[in-house]
Parts: sequence; structure tokens; C-alpha cells
Amino acid sequence: MSTDLTRRSPTPPQGSVQDRRPRRVGPVRQLVVPLLLVLELVVFATLSDSFLTSGNMANVILNSVDLALIAGGLTLVIILGGIDVSTGPALGVVAWVVGTLTVADVPAPLVVILAIALGGLMGLINGAIVSLLNVTAIIATLGTAAIWQTTLFGLWGGTDLFAPPVSTYAAADRLFGVPTVAFLVVLVYAALWYVSRYRAFGRHVYAVGNDIEAARLSGVRVRRVTLSTYVLVGSLVGLAAVVYMARVGVVQASSGADLSLAAIAAVVVGGTSITGGRGSVIGTLFGVLFIAVLQNGVVLAGVPPLWNGVLVGLFILVAVGIDVVSDRVSARRGRA
Amino acid sequence: MHDTIIGDPSAEQRLPELLLRGQGLSLSFGATQALQDVDIDVHAGERVVVVGENGAGKSTLMKVLAGVLRPDEGVMTFEENDYAPASPGEAIGLGVAMVHQEPTFFPQLSVLENVFMGREIRGRTGNLRWSAMRAEGRGLFQTLALPVRLLDRRMDLLSLGEQQLTLIARALHQDARLLILDEPTSILTDTEAELLFQLVDGHVAAGGGVLYISHRMREFPRVADRVVVLKDGKVVADLPVAAADDQTLIRHMSGRDVLAFQRGEQRSRSERPVLSLHGLTHEGAYSDVSLDVHGGEVVGLYGLMGSGRSEIALTVFGAMRPDSGTMELDGAPHRPQSPAQAVRAGVAYVPEDRKSLGLYALMSCGANLSSAALPRLTRHSLIQRQLESRVVDNGYASLSVKSTGADESILNLSGGNQQKILLARWLANDPQLLLLDEPTRGIDVGTKAEIHRLVDDQAQQGRAMLLISSELPELLALSDRVYVLYQGEIVAELPGGADSEEDVLTATMGADVNEH
Repeated sequence: MSTDLTRRSPTPPQGSVQDRRPRRVGPVRQLVVPLLLVLELVVFATLSDSFLTSGNMANVILNSVDLALIAGGLTLVIILGGIDVSTGPALGVVAWVVGTLTVADVPAPLVVILAIALGGLMGLINGAIVSLLNVTAIIATLGTAAIWQTTLFGLWGGTDLFAPPVSTYAAADRLFGVPTVAFLVVLVYAALWYVSRYRAFGRHVYAVGNDIEAARLSGVRVRRVTLSTYVLVGSLVGLAAVVYMARVGVVQASSGADLSLAAIAAVVVGGTSITGGRGSVIGTLFGVLFIAVLQNGVVLAGVPPLWNGVLVGLFILVAVGIDVVSDRVSARRGRA
Repeated sequence: MHDTIIGDPSAEQRLPELLLRGQGLSLSFGATQALQDVDIDVHAGERVVVVGENGAGKSTLMKVLAGVLRPDEGVMTFEENDYAPASPGEAIGLGVAMVHQEPTFFPQLSVLENVFMGREIRGRTGNLRWSAMRAEGRGLFQTLALPVRLLDRRMDLLSLGEQQLTLIARALHQDARLLILDEPTSILTDTEAELLFQLVDGHVAAGGGVLYISHRMREFPRVADRVVVLKDGKVVADLPVAAADDQTLIRHMSGRDVLAFQRGEQRSRSERPVLSLHGLTHEGAYSDVSLDVHGGEVVGLYGLMGSGRSEIALTVFGAMRPDSGTMELDGAPHRPQSPAQAVRAGVAYVPEDRKSLGLYALMSCGANLSSAALPRLTRHSLIQRQLESRVVDNGYASLSVKSTGADESILNLSGGNQQKILLARWLANDPQLLLLDEPTRGIDVGTKAEIHRLVDDQAQQGRAMLLISSELPELLALSDRVYVLYQGEIVAELPGGADSEEDVLTATMGADVNEH
């Protein structure tokens, strides 16, 4: 045994190349969604002349910012082994508050802070129900989703609320021809990526999603991790609501309602396992782009809007199907 | 003798440091006294093996020592300090780590991540330092002579043995002074087991201690300094390994209270077997199993957990497929593709885990009872309620189920009455072959006796039954013959009755019955 000890070199020669978290998702899987995205771009570009224009691309990006912000946080919730179906209605409620504050001329930075705080509070409520009362995440968030939805209906009270963008940054501004607000997404995803790879909190999210009992036996503070993750997604919903309000300019009784499922779809298409334990925020970013491009391209290609949802649903099944099959293949190879 | 001991100064010097001591440890779960006034100690550099029958309290004791369970009574010290860990995390922090029998780990994370989970190396700003963890992980694996390439593999893609070794490496990496291993070798190949022993040797040489549950007696001289025998939650023997030969251990482990149950005299065994298995093999579960069950006969199947008992029953019931070998039911080939087919062929199975595999928890007693008979109770695809209530009434009467009525929720019943409903469910089908997997587990004494009588009655009426039970006295009292399984193979066929207890135990431990 002592010979073993002397033989080993204290530091690996590769140095910084080694400073990576071990790879978990198979190489095939990581390429599926980016490839599908490229395929999508090619197909729609041939079908429609107006698709691959800078104006339309900017539009696609702008329209997907709020979805991207929600899906980023939701990725961690799903990796944790949880789910949050209340993100859409929560966004609606926060958007109403943002609109009201903007109309009342509250300064923009304060509006943003309040929106994030309110969203975080709503996330805290979800997290508390899940981690302290041990209610299954889908039940807990279905419950709060219904409450947020009804709250918004009450606040709305029969009159649509119109409000100007809280800041031109959030909608109209362009930087190098790209909507400025898109850089917010880059920033948030970089932070999420960093947290999931280089912070213990991120590791513990994966741990809980893999096996909550094993996590507890390893000294992971399961409740705290769970609570924090729901607060995180809530805060991002709050931020997303600001962007949403600036883009749409109006709050109605159903505002945001369709975002819950779109966000889950983006996460799953991006390769995160719906049962938890595995996934990445970068995958989710591709998932968001995939869905945003699909929704936009289908319209430009002249497909009747009615078919829009069917196509999106089909592509989600295809993307997830490829995931499942490639996973099975790699599992078989690994064991052999 | 006295002179040499007193006069030898080295004896005193070599008196090793006391690592862990438990005194008067007691713990009960409801009516079951799992541990009774247990004293145990481990010294630095010492390897202690704990043995005992199923249900003797071995795992419970280990869990108490590792902070997973808290004792009702008793005190513990670790390294001479008071030791009362509130959680496994606290125990690990103090230097006591346990590798559980059912491994707990993170299947979708890499080995490296598994080893460091909860004890990550962080930089000054709290960033995880993967390069440092990788270097340390390599060092750890090289020191332990484990293949370094494993570090980057996903945990669920490892073999069971590699997973187990990783978990032990993880425990050692947690700077555990006392390592608790719950049946670590039961799923290992011999090569892997030898690797594990070397890990243990290294740990002990460095001044650590090891507590080790094992059933493999032939391993003891290799892995133990001392053997502690548990029986019914009590320590009945504490021997140096040299004195712990197979027969001595068996003698200490056996001798439980004999069941006050007399088998009926009227069993008449049928000429032709109802069930026969020929060379049945399912890789990783059981191999080359051949046995017969005749009508009017209770055949016992005994073995430790993981010896393949339930898997054989599940195969006959169509829930598992054998890799090779054949089955015959009543002289005809029996190749069920599903439990539904097996039921149609006349097989019934009362499962080991009543709650998760037997009961429809949210349905009434009546619906639970009639569920297996439903195909016979329908006309034009509609359930005939009159027929159904007749079946339910019959079941209630013949098993004297105690409940307020057939509409009562099954969850309101005691475990014993739930089990009666399950038995009634299958008896309503009048099966040729009844497979009973732990039929009295977690059941009160009175109902237990009723179930024993029922099994005996059924045998006298000519039914063929295969009985699996971890309670040896019960199994011996009810069975005409007992097959003993050891690591998936039948190692002995013995007559029923209390006299066979020592022989059965000997065979269970992998020792040779004929030797004594």
C-alpha cells in the first residue's frame, strides 16, 4: 500500500482542466436539444422569408425572456425532486402589483425590488408547505396556484389594468441589436449555472433529488435546501413579472396562466429529469429557445394557430422520447 | 496462569483504548422489544462481529450506535465521552459512520460527488474546489487500492459490489474511527469481499474499530477478533473469535421459545406433487432450485434475507421469470407470463409486505376480500353484488374476521385482521397452491395462533402450501419439510418439527450440516 502512496502524484498534471464537476449527462443527450434547435431554425427559414430576420429573431428572444427566467429557477426545483405549477398565476399577481405601482409613479428600482420580494414570498409559502408540512409538491403548488389565480381575478375586478413599461430597459431598448433585457437572462443563467456547479447549495439540490434519505444521512439540511429553492424560483417569477408587464403592458384575469406549463415543458425538453436528481440550467435555456422558436416559426410558416399547440406538444414528446431512449442505451452500455 | 498474566507488563500496555461502549441499551417498537438491556463495547484496533437470527435486533443495535435510532434506555460513550447522537450527521461528525444494509446513495451523481456529498471542499469564498476534491478522491481510492477510474462513473452504473466499496470508502473518508457495516458482504463476490476485508484491516491497523454484522461464519476468522451473539434483543454470548466455532454459535443463537402449537395428525400427503421446480435459476436471486410441494403438505422455505426465498415464490406466482429451469403445476408445465395467468392456473400468493403489496389501502374490507375472485363474480362484465357478498360473508365466517362490517375501511383493522382478509381473498379462489410469505409478521399473538390453525386446517383439507417465515419456531412447527436456502441455493432439506432447529440454523449460515 505504501508503494501506491509514493507512486501517486500529489496534483493531477492536467491542472485547471480537471477543475470540472464530473460529467453526468451523456454526450448524446447534451446535443439533442441544440441539434433540434438548429434543425428547427433551418426548417422555418426555408418555409418563411420573414423568419430569419434580425427583427423577428429579436422578437423571439424578447418574447421568451419571462419564460426563461421562470424556467431557470424551476430547473432547480425539478432537480430537487419537486415541482411548481403555480409560477404562471404567481406571475399574474406580481404583474398586477407591478402595473399598479408603475401607474402610481413609484420609482423603477423600487418596483423591481418589491416585485422580487413579493415573488420570493410566494415561493416561501410554497416551500414552507412542501418542506415543513410535508405536503407533496404538486398538491401544494396546485393549491397555491388556485389561490393566486383567484387573487388575481379579485384584483383585476373586471377592468384590464394598463401600465407603461417600468423602464425602457425592460422592453424597447436594444444593445448590439439584441433586446437589452436578454442580457438579464444571460446574467441569471450564468448565476444559476455557477450555483449548481460551484456552490454546496447546488450540489445539495441534486442530492435531495437523488435520494432524500441519503441526503439526510449525509448531513445535508434538507428542509433548508428545499425552502431556499422554492424561494429562488419565486424571486425569479417576480423578476419575470416585471419583464412581462413591460412587454405586454396590460394585466387581465388570466395573465401568465399559460406560463406554468410552458416553463415545465422547457425544463423537461432541456433534459432535466422530471423525477429529479439530474438536469442542467443550460439545457433549460435551449429548451426555452426551442419552444419560443417553435411557437414563432409555426405562425410565420402559416400553420393555422389551432395546430400550434399540437405541434409544440408533439415536439416535446419527441425531445423527451429521445432523452428516454438515449438514457436506456447508455445505461445498458455502462452496465455491460 | 495467574502469574503470567499479572507479571506480564506488556499485557497492560497492550490494553487498547475503549472506543465505543453502550450500556443497558433498550428499545421497543410498540409491543416488540427490539433491544433489551444490551451491553456492547468496541476497542481501538478491534473488529467485532455481531451475529444472530433474523429479527434478533442486530440492525436495530447498529442503528442506535450510529444515531439513526435513539434508545429508550441506556447510555453510550465514545472515546470516553458521553455519546448521544441526535442524528446520523452528528454521529459522523463525532467519528461513527455506518454503511447500511440497503445502501443509501445518490444514483444519478458521480462516485466523486457521492464520496464528498455533505463534506465538500470549499475555497475561501465558498466555491467548491473540484480539482482539490478530485485529487483527494484519487488519493483516497489509490490508498484503498480501488480503481481510480470509478470516480467519474455515475453511481447507478456501478455493480452492487463497486457501490458497496464506494460507500465504505466514503465512510472512511469521513474520518470515521468506528466503522459500522451492516452485512456488507452479502451482495459481494469473493474478490470484492476480500477487497473489503483489506479496507477493514487497514482501518483497524490505523487504530480504528469495526462493528460488523455478518451471517457468513466462514468469514469470521478472517474478519473478526470477537463475536457477539444477539438473540431476541439480548446479548447471549460474547466470545473471542477462536472460541466462536460454528456449533457454539449455533447453540447460542437457537433455543428460542418453542411454539405451543401442535400440528394436526390428519394431514395426508398426495401421491403426486402439486408443484415441482427443476433447476430453477434466476441470476442474482436464486440458482438451481429444485423442490416439490405435495397436496396436504406445508413445505417451509427458510433462509436469511436476500437468500432468494421471496423471489422463488414470486417466480411461481408469475411476477418474475426464471432464466432457466422448469416448473410444473399439477403435472402440467407451468410458465406464467404474469401473476394474472398464475392465478388462473390456481396459484395464490399472500405477500410479505402486506401494506404495499397486499392491501388496497383505500378500499373497504369487502372489496379487498373479493378482489381476487372478481372474474368469477361477474356476469356480462358487471359485478353481481349478491355473489360478491356471499363470498365476503363466507370469508368473514371461516376466518372470524373482526370488523364492524364489510364496508369498513381496511385501514381501521388490526394487522392480524388485515392479514385474515388477505388470506380469505385467496382462499375464496380455492387455489391448488397457496404461497405464504411471512404470514404472521407484525401480528399479535392471538391472531398468530389463529393463522397457524388455519394453515394447519388447510393442510388437513389437502391444500398444498409453500410457507416462508423468518420465525424459525413457527416455520418448523407448521411445516412437514423445510428447504434451507443459502445465497440462492438449496443447501438442505430437513424434516419439520422443533428438533431440526440447530440443523436448519447451521445450514442457513453456510456451514455444512453433515459435519456435526
